[in-house]
Amino acid sequence: MIWHIFKKDWKLLWGFVLAVAFLHMMGALVQFKLGLFGEEPMLEMLSRWVPELAIFASAFLIAAIVHLDAVPGSRQDWLTRPIPRGGLLMEKLLFAIVMVEGPIFAASLGLSLANGFSWRASLLSTTAWSTFLLFFLVAPILAFASVTKNMAEAFIYGCGGAFVIGSFLILVGSWNALMHGTLLGATHTGLGWVAEVLRLALTAITAGIVLRLQYLRRKTAVARLLLVGLGVVLLVSALVPWKPVFALESKLSANAGAGAKTRMSFDPSEGRFQSPSGVAAPGESDRLRYGRNTADVFLPLRITGVPNDGILMVDQADVHFANESGREVYHGLGESFEVAREGPQPPEEPVYQRIELPMATMRRAQDQPLGVRVEYSLTQFRLSKSYALPAVDGEERMPGWGWCKTKVNDAGTDVELRCMEPGKGPICGTAFLENASSGARNPARSFCLSEYRPFQDHPWPDDLTHLGVNLPFRDATGLAKYPIEGAQLRSSQVVIRVYEPEDHFTRTLTIPAVRLREWEAE
Amino acid sequence: MIEAENLWKSYGRFQALRGLSFSVPEGSAFAMIGANGAGKTTTIKVLMNMLEPTRGSARLLGVDSRRLSVRELAQVGYVSENQEMPARLTVEEYTAYLRRFYPTWDRELEGAIARQLRLPLERRIGHLSHGMRMKLALLCALPYRPKVLVLDEPFSGLDPLVRDEFMEGLLGQAGEMTILISSHELSEIDGVATDIAFVDEGRVLFQESMADLAKRFREVRVTLAGEAARPSHAPREWMAVQATGNVLTFVDTQFDEREIGERIRARMGDVRVIDSQPMALRSIFITLARAARDGSA
Repeated sequence: MIWHIFKKDWKLLWGFVLAVAFLHMMGALVQFKLGLFGEEPMLEMLSRWVPELAIFASAFLIAAIVHLDAVPGSRQDWLTRPIPRGGLLMEKLLFAIVMVEGPIFAASLGLSLANGFSWRASLLSTTAWSTFLLFFLVAPILAFASVTKNMAEAFIYGCGGAFVIGSFLILVGSWNALMHGTLLGATHTGLGWVAEVLRLALTAITAGIVLRLQYLRRKTAVARLLLVGLGVVLLVSALVPWKPVFALESKLSANAGAGAKTRMSFDPSEGRFQSPSGVAAPGESDRLRYGRNTADVFLPLRITGVPNDGILMVDQADVHFANESGREVYHGLGESFEVAREGPQPPEEPVYQRIELPMATMRRAQDQPLGVRVEYSLTQFRLSKSYALPAVDGEERMPGWGWCKTKVNDAGTDVELRCMEPGKGPICGTAFLENASSGARNPARSFCLSEYRPFQDHPWPDDLTHLGVNLPFRDATGLAKYPIEGAQLRSSQVVIRVYEPEDHFTRTLTIPAVRLREWEAE
Repeated sequence: MIEAENLWKSYGRFQALRGLSFSVPEGSAFAMIGANGAGKTTTIKVLMNMLEPTRGSARLLGVDSRRLSVRELAQVGYVSENQEMPARLTVEEYTAYLRRFYPTWDRELEGAIARQLRLPLERRIGHLSHGMRMKLALLCALPYRPKVLVLDEPFSGLDPLVRDEFMEGLLGQAGEMTILISSHELSEIDGVATDIAFVDEGRVLFQESMADLAKRFREVRVTLAGEAARPSHAPREWMAVQATGNVLTFVDTQFDEREIGERIRARMGDVRVIDSQPMALRSIFITLARAARDGSA
């Protein structure tokens, strides 16, 4: 019976199915043609629009599948027919899997294979991604469509929902800005995945309940109420606080205690932060551009205990300033930063904690002695692998890192390194130019993300992770000199060092008294 | 076969059904009549489990309408004026789709009905006229020889020719079926229904066989010796009482040929002529509808 209904739906939707499949194939083709460097502007534009269009078209297709035998309403002929409701639900799911997910799976697998990845790696990542899409995109849209009578109703409710969500996010975003970033907690951070897992699980469970309620019992009012309730919970979940989430992440550390030797202290001997000549201090350009009414304070820090070939990442710096009477004059988030200890004798470079303060707070408190407490949430990364490939026109396939290529940019100033990996891909690495014979090396560029989610979660454009970094070897202004310059490029290599997070831990920095005026950038 | 017991259905504050009850005897052709908005369609949708009652219960083939399963639905035919069928399938494709769901579907019968109704098999449902769609609904409701056929305003919007074709198609296959038909097209029901229920404002005002109904409703014309006047206390069973000159007319809803003369003379005095005429269903319906509207039913 399922197959019989399936054939009917195919007869009615084959054009739509083929159009959406074509969009997915087009998207994959564009991504493939774009390659690692993505220099073709037209393809670049298409690579952004086509996958988005394809995913929206897929959402409409899923709704159309459901609306062929709409559940709400009392005019549908099928309601009076001896059609098993459970069978109909199974057919809708099957049709969505085959006709919506099928093309996505095929396009993604094809793209991965065309890019030279193995069948095993391609199948694994594509299957994982498709499963993610099934539970967290296809099933929820099926559920949503099942409480609407037709596409117009689904569209209106969808727009209404988007408006409510958008308004909420704007409201919360403004509120968060007023609270100096402390309201949103773990949302939009590398720990956002904890709440996201809960959100996704709730979404999948609710979708399952709604589909059962609708197809087996036709309880549209209850199902709609459930979806609204889910929406409210999802919105409120944006306010999940940071500390419990980071505590959970700490429990999941791969090598708990590895960061035990790490110490952080205030080190006034480093002196005030000095912007490099001709370069605005961090945040200064934003302030100039957007007219932000803020002031930056840079607290010099001494950080010890980071092991060689280790990176310390500040996931969050929760800053409190209190006056002499103990009253809090400021609470907000400081800028995150990282400290890398790379190479045999890594230099101890000064580290500054940047804190952006409202100008009014700065004016009011700049000459008072203030007590400072900074609660750091930290992650220590350890070196796991190291790769090298020629600095010019190099190409390597590196397990755990992916397929990489290098080339010199058109301006002749940087070596461009671009990589691609099926699935989630690496989250932290450094790359630098090295002359293997002389041992000379340029400063490393880090591309570490405070991003610890264990799964690939984006619904488009595909299941491939793209990484890229530019390694400068010549400064067009002539201000900077590099150990490895253009002439040595042919005999140099790009070294990639891959880091894995091993320990998540907290440290608290307490400074009895500072005067903010003394720690503004010079 | 079909029963409704104290059915209530509310849409917000509006009560579409207010304690509606009736019972359809097996093998009968039961007509529900009532003005637009009386609650006929809602009743049928509750019976077919397309709507859930707010209170009360309905039973179809002995099963609570909320628990109708594939087994019962395979024995019920449903035809409605506002039935939504897949517009992009052709007539042939849709009947082919439905066949598989009915173990008793008779393809020969299907072909015969299609020919009788002169349906264009290769035309898309979305391109059919209203009349054609009604005929298609009938085609999709008869080939499996349902035990119960439910028709919701089947004649609405049909031109006379199509109506005749529809009726021929229906009556040709009626057989032993129990038919529930809702309509305000009384002239059509007149020749089909064996039993009738009058629905008004979500309630059944009465239910009885057509034979009894025709027997007890009479249009009575009384010619008096003097000027006629509306009696100040007319019996409740007299409806639409009117006096013109020396003639008094009314509809007697409890007509009894043996007693009528005596009853009238007792009230009106010197009566010259009493003439009583049987009424068409349409006239009975209009009388009842007006009385219901005026609050005297």
